[in-house]
Amino acid sequence: MPKILKISFPEKCVGCEMCAIEAQRQLRKIGLEGALIRVFRNTNSKLGNIEYALEIDPRISSLNVDKIQKICPKGVFEVEETD
Amino acid sequence: METRPRKVLSIDLTKKEYEVKSFEDLNSYIGGVGLGFKLMEMYYDKNPLIFAVGPLNGLFPFASKTAVVINNDGVIEDVYLGGSISLRIRYAGLDALVIHGTAQEQTVLDITNAGVSFKNQSEDPDTLGLPGKRSVIKMDGSKILLGGYFTTPEHFLEKEFTDKNISGIVVTGTELINIKDFDKYEELYKKILNRKNELSVMEGTYPSCSNCPMGCGKSKTGEMGGNVLLHSLVACQYADRIYTDVGVVFSCLNVLGYNYTHEDIEALPKLIEQTLRRIS
Repeated sequence: MPKILKISFPEKCVGCEMCAIEAQRQLRKIGLEGALIRVFRNTNSKLGNIEYALEIDPRISSLNVDKIQKICPKGVFEVEETD
Repeated sequence: METRPRKVLSIDLTKKEYEVKSFEDLNSYIGGVGLGFKLMEMYYDKNPLIFAVGPLNGLFPFASKTAVVINNDGVIEDVYLGGSISLRIRYAGLDALVIHGTAQEQTVLDITNAGVSFKNQSEDPDTLGLPGKRSVIKMDGSKILLGGYFTTPEHFLEKEFTDKNISGIVVTGTELINIKDFDKYEELYKKILNRKNELSVMEGTYPSCSNCPMGCGKSKTGEMGGNVLLHSLVACQYADRIYTDVGVVFSCLNVLGYNYTHEDIEALPKLIEQTLRRIS
């Protein structure tokens, strides 16, 4: 059954990029070029209240999304199974 | 010892020129503080601001610092900046940035891989580079901050930016690193990541350095002083139980294709000390 990686709790993100790096490793890449997850600092956030935003490329579903979910230290993601 | 050239992006603020230099003979300095001190010796007359990464940055967890080496009125200082910049420099295909001279007007350095654009201060650094692949260092209130959060101890960066007329530095890295034995690398990566309970810092919910899951409260102000091997690699001081384990260090370096010997590692502190003595 296909699985979808969902950003359920973006407010918990600490910007460590472990998810993006894990996804790249699964593609046997080291670096962020062509990354299927991108982590941005929200430049509107005020000093002392840093926030991050994430973007996921739909092609992420071809990877082991359970591993990506698990490597996030803050539980930002959920994995949903689809029919 | 196998020689791997160190790629250094040399930026002349006065002339608005830059060049990438490849040094074949800096292998024994490993990276980070070792490389930074040697580059300070080589560029001493130009009063450089140096950002140097190590062989593990961008490749292994808890190795997320960047050595910043400056000449503070004759005293050579090394401080360590967290955040994402070590990964960006590594993914730009570089080992160090050497920024020297003084800009004639307030300047933002927009660095993408080995290229530099000299922008004037009207450019907002947050709009330069590639989102998701960049690090931004800029004045935020009275402080120089990386990613709006990370800084260095003792306000050394503030002084350097003021003296050199720099109002921001943006580093974007879009290169990919090749590793011969990827399976072995990945196995080692996971093994080290699984040792996170050996870190001497508490997990938190603060902005985290890239490739470190801790989100600790200590990374905000960076580091100063400590173990020269850690600072050459350039690993976090709170991961010292992992990265002062010589077996782990050799495994990491070997899988990346560096063929250092025990003698090379043992010689490092003396080499750094001698280099520092020559420039102090």
